[in-house]
Amino acid sequence: MAAAAMVVTAAGGGDFSDLREIKKQLLNVAERSRERGLQHSGKWAAELAFALEPLPLNELPPPPELTEEDARDLDAYTLAKSYFDLKEYDRAAYFLQGCKSQKAYFLYMYSRYLSGEKKKDDETVDSLGPLEKGQVKNEALRELRVELSKKHKAQELDGFGLYLYGVVLRKLDLVKEAIDVFVEAAHVLPLHWGAWLELCNLITDKEMLKFLSLPDTWMKEFFLAHIYTELQLIEEALQKYQSLIDAGFSKSTYIISQIAVAYHNIRDIDKALSIFNELRKQDPYRIENMDTFSNLLYVRSMKPELSYLAHNLCEIDKYRVETCCVIGNYYSLRSQHEKAALYFQRALKLNPRYLGAWTLMGHEYMEMKNTSAAIQAYRHAIEVNKRDYRAWYGLGQTYEILKMPFYCLYYYRRAHQLRPNDSRMLVALGECYEKLNQLVEAKKCYWRAYAVGDVEKMALVKLAKLHEQLNESEQAAQCYIKYIQDIYSCGEVVEHLEVSTAFRYLAQYYFKCKLWDEASACAQKCCAFNDTREEGKALLRQILQLRNQGETSSTDVAAPFFLPASLSANNTPTRRVSPLNLSSVTP
Amino acid sequence: MASVHESLYFNPMLTNGVVHANVFGVRDWVTPHKMALLVLLSELGRAGPQLGLLERRRLNRLLLPLLQGPDMALSRLRKAIEECCPQLAGSVHIRLKLMAEGELKDMEQFFDDLSDSFSGTEPEVHKTSVVAAPDSPCSQQAFPSPGLFLRHMILAYNKLSFSQVYKLYTALQQYFQKDEKKDGADENEMELTNPEELDGKMEKEELDGPLRVFLTREEEIACSGPLSQKQAEYFLSQQASLLKNDETKALAPASLQKELNNLLKFNPDFAEAHYLSYLNSLRVQDVFSSTHSLLHYFDRLILTGAESKSNGDEGYGRSLRYAALNLAALHCRFGHYQQAELALQEAIRIAQESNDHVCLQHCLSWLYILEQKIFDSCVLLEHSVNKSLHFGLPYLASLGIQSLVQQRAFAGKAANKLMDALKDSDLLHWKHSLSELIDISIAQKTAIWRLYGRSTMALQQAQTLLSMNSLEAVNVGVQQNNTESFAVVLCHLAELHAEQGYFAAASEILKHLKERFPPNSQHAQLWMLFDQKIQFERAMNDGRYHVADSLVAGITALNSIEGVYRKAIVLKAQNQMSEAHKLLQKLLIHCQKIKNTEMVIRVLLSIAELYWRSSCHTIALPVLLQALALAREYSLQYLASETVLNLAFSQLILGIPEQALNILHMAIEPVLAHGAVLDKGCAMFLVAKCQVASAASYTPQKKIEALESAILNLNEAKTYFAKVDCKEQLRDILYFQARLFHTLGKTQERNKCAMLFRQLHQDLPAHGVPLINAFK
Repeated sequence: MAAAAMVVTAAGGGDFSDLREIKKQLLNVAERSRERGLQHSGKWAAELAFALEPLPLNELPPPPELTEEDARDLDAYTLAKSYFDLKEYDRAAYFLQGCKSQKAYFLYMYSRYLSGEKKKDDETVDSLGPLEKGQVKNEALRELRVELSKKHKAQELDGFGLYLYGVVLRKLDLVKEAIDVFVEAAHVLPLHWGAWLELCNLITDKEMLKFLSLPDTWMKEFFLAHIYTELQLIEEALQKYQSLIDAGFSKSTYIISQIAVAYHNIRDIDKALSIFNELRKQDPYRIENMDTFSNLLYVRSMKPELSYLAHNLCEIDKYRVETCCVIGNYYSLRSQHEKAALYFQRALKLNPRYLGAWTLMGHEYMEMKNTSAAIQAYRHAIEVNKRDYRAWYGLGQTYEILKMPFYCLYYYRRAHQLRPNDSRMLVALGECYEKLNQLVEAKKCYWRAYAVGDVEKMALVKLAKLHEQLNESEQAAQCYIKYIQDIYSCGEVVEHLEVSTAFRYLAQYYFKCKLWDEASACAQKCCAFNDTREEGKALLRQILQLRNQGETSSTDVAAPFFLPASLSANNTPTRRVSPLNLSSVTP
Repeated sequence: MASVHESLYFNPMLTNGVVHANVFGVRDWVTPHKMALLVLLSELGRAGPQLGLLERRRLNRLLLPLLQGPDMALSRLRKAIEECCPQLAGSVHIRLKLMAEGELKDMEQFFDDLSDSFSGTEPEVHKTSVVAAPDSPCSQQAFPSPGLFLRHMILAYNKLSFSQVYKLYTALQQYFQKDEKKDGADENEMELTNPEELDGKMEKEELDGPLRVFLTREEEIACSGPLSQKQAEYFLSQQASLLKNDETKALAPASLQKELNNLLKFNPDFAEAHYLSYLNSLRVQDVFSSTHSLLHYFDRLILTGAESKSNGDEGYGRSLRYAALNLAALHCRFGHYQQAELALQEAIRIAQESNDHVCLQHCLSWLYILEQKIFDSCVLLEHSVNKSLHFGLPYLASLGIQSLVQQRAFAGKAANKLMDALKDSDLLHWKHSLSELIDISIAQKTAIWRLYGRSTMALQQAQTLLSMNSLEAVNVGVQQNNTESFAVVLCHLAELHAEQGYFAAASEILKHLKERFPPNSQHAQLWMLFDQKIQFERAMNDGRYHVADSLVAGITALNSIEGVYRKAIVLKAQNQMSEAHKLLQKLLIHCQKIKNTEMVIRVLLSIAELYWRSSCHTIALPVLLQALALAREYSLQYLASETVLNLAFSQLILGIPEQALNILHMAIEPVLAHGAVLDKGCAMFLVAKCQVASAASYTPQKKIEALESAILNLNEAKTYFAKVDCKEQLRDILYFQARLFHTLGKTQERNKCAMLFRQLHQDLPAHGVPLINAFK
């Protein structure tokens, strides 16, 4: 208790001025977590402590002092802890009965909880019928809740005890109570990462976050950064992480990995990749987050790197969910989709709650043209997490492939609701509307996709083509101009097929408007592409002819051809756009 | 007129209210409740011969719902058995007690004995086997006999692993102990609630078997625990058929949803639950969750369809088509016609690609419904009917015929042809025993007769449907109680009664409607509209115009055209002529555009009335003639005769009473035969006036005769007006009669009339229009 009190008082303020103090606290809590069998929290604290400067001998925190009670329970505790480590939970609980000290009591309750969980898992395999499967419960939960709530009322629970109480409540689906208890746990023992992490899982939106009264400690910064990432508020998250790095945690692998994940979430692939590579250098045997890394490699089609990663991870531990996922991605990239699906299935066997695998499996089935299996996989993913936009998007794609554009609108809309600023959903929506001949809606979607930052750079071309169809040549030309500007400003090396189309249209447009200079410039550009070369030349000849007929040409080329002053000045799209108002009902 | 169809177009996923459940590997397993049933069965077999006939029958009726229903607490089960046969309940309890308080081997022994009962020379099972009552609604997908149940259970038991057997045994112990513990406390509570329950049960048992008893139970134990595959299927099909046929008996939307969520939590693969949840969301008009459930259902169905068919493609593509079709239906239901059209196009395209003519026919019917919102599309419909007949889809075909008849009736086609068509489609219905369509057909006939103004025929048809229902229940066992056709018929019945001045009866019928179709249910709007219309008429008759005015808003909300019309009538009655005229002109143009002929004629009549009220009879005449021509063309006989009355009145005022009398003879018969009481009164009053007017030129002798017959006619009119409580008209008649008596020199009678007139006149405010000039 004394140690706990010391730590609590020390962990004040959201400032990071005293890194030594923080390190002391971290080491202390890592030790205490380990004593209680909370390995993940211990690991987290230890990792973070490792990122800070080592302490000199005289400043090392003393081992936690033993109280009278601790001493009394020491033998039972030591025995039980060894049983606990050997996963003999019932046995551990038996020997801890009647222990009064906080540490022993926690271990007692915790082993009872884990024993219940273990039995539940075992029984799931062995239940009476399929409908009963969902009903297999951790029998111990109710008893634990009763006992813990008694202690809670009497205020005899320390931070760890509150954490366990919260976990029990959450398992009983008492979310509200659980949140309250976790908040309390965070107040009593802010250093315990587990409580924060549970809180992250229970908070579903920004509004909820606002109404929490959280302790004002430096741990809160970590928590906020983490939850911002979860809630897809990437910019805020990155800011937080940056400030943490500035405060002196630059070496923390945890923070680095979180930043990489954040970049992955906003599709900043290059940055994410470089950060992951850095992470791999610092922590070569790390398996966590490697599935995200492999996704990035997959998107970039970096076969050798992915292959290396897969083999490397397989060597470290082939029975980890992340490893299976990486291998699945690897096979998928090699177009061996059956094998990929197999590995994703294996990942799901290892952890049925690992939702990424369901979605990825759906993608694989899509590749194999097994649409029904794909739909099934996506539906599973949605069942695990309703907010999985990729699964919704995947479902939409599946129905689009089945040529049901109206039907898939619903799914794309769901995906769009979850990721309002993701251009891919918007483009997909636009395409569907285009297929349904609802061009007004389609235009809105494309424009919006462009406005929120188009990833694939296709929205403008599609928009331009729509305008072309509707004979709105002015707008079409503007879109093409913007498209060309976009492509050139990116300095993209990738050959864009539509550039030539854009130039061809512009050339013709200027030709019609009798703006000979611009027309000829565009036509010349056309000649640079294979498919439009002939047309470009023909147009050039025509222009020459018409010019000769008319007046003598003034051959000064002032502005860049694709930036006519009149058009380039205005019409830069504002990033802030009004909410997308599609006329259709959006259930 | 019945706008029956859009909700009733056939839903391929829900045949006869049964949701076709897919097949899973494990369908059933042993639970303590089922063990109790097994004990009951074996006891029944043992005690079989000693039981009385009555007890046996009661038990047999009890068994089926028990075998299929969800698990229930032991105490409840015991109660149920006790009601049938107390001694059996005792022995069942004792055997369970022995087993639960004994050892594991007792249970094992029990199952061994059970399986032995099959191997003997004369299996015990056969003695217990019960023939499922054919009229019981659960026989649709039932265990054919308890024997099968026994076999299922024995197989399921044999499949159990070591630890599972032990688990089952502990579950049995808990099951029994829970009952023991509760026994003391429960007894009192049961005692308290029982008496009424018992009464109910006795009569219910006579009425419709144990199902009803069971339903109340089900509500109580909702959300108690997981259902097995079989039980879940039974639950779903039962609720679905109740939703379709008798919504009030189904679980309330909230609790049904809760139950479904529970079901889905335990088995997310149970796709049909999603469909039921879709239907349930429709009940409460929830677009979001109904769309969600519908799509979820089809996502799930697509996978099971692919699995069950070996080639995969057929079942799978099929559900895709129907998915799109159902989505169209959903959007149509919520009035998103554009969305519905897009979805329908998609369904049609996919169906065409895969040459599915049946699906295409469904699509075509839906297309008609959608197009109907935009323009007349008889061609489409005719095509649909032909094709449906060709592909052997009687349901669609006759729905098509009915829609066609409805449209033709509005378009003023010859009545005999329409009735012929309906008769033909009736043949089709009876041949295929499509009871639902028979109902619709009768409802439609009622509506058509009403449209033509033949109230007696309409009354007869309405009564036919209402009394036919009781016949139906005996035969098929599917009691359709809250379909739209019933709502339509009952509404018409209420209005017919109100017209005849039987307001108490009408309000009784409306009260019944309210019970049968609670305000938030699908067809509730119908009776709401009729209710307000009847109230409106009453208020107008009484001269309480402010009340009528307040009702207009309600009517407008339910039917905007009707609302505007009524508003104009109120204005007219309040002598705000120019406003009324403006409103009516607008309404006229609108109705002519949407081809609502009935309303056009009514509006024309009102306009004419406005004209003659402002003493412009010459202008009123052409309007009336136009109305008359229209009414004749569309064979709306009742409106035609009303027009003739108006015409006669105008002629009377214009000074040609002989001519007026002539044409009155034409109209008076239909009015007296089919008209509302009010109209009868008006007609008789008018006749009397004409008689008096034309008597002016007669010889004195003849004149007296004419006046006397006029007085008689006035008496008749008076009785009619008294029925509907029209004091103003009564006052006018009394005045008129008094004058006539005065002319005839009958002072006593004159004084009597004058006195009555005086009484009434004091109650009523003075009329804005001179007495003799009012026709209505």
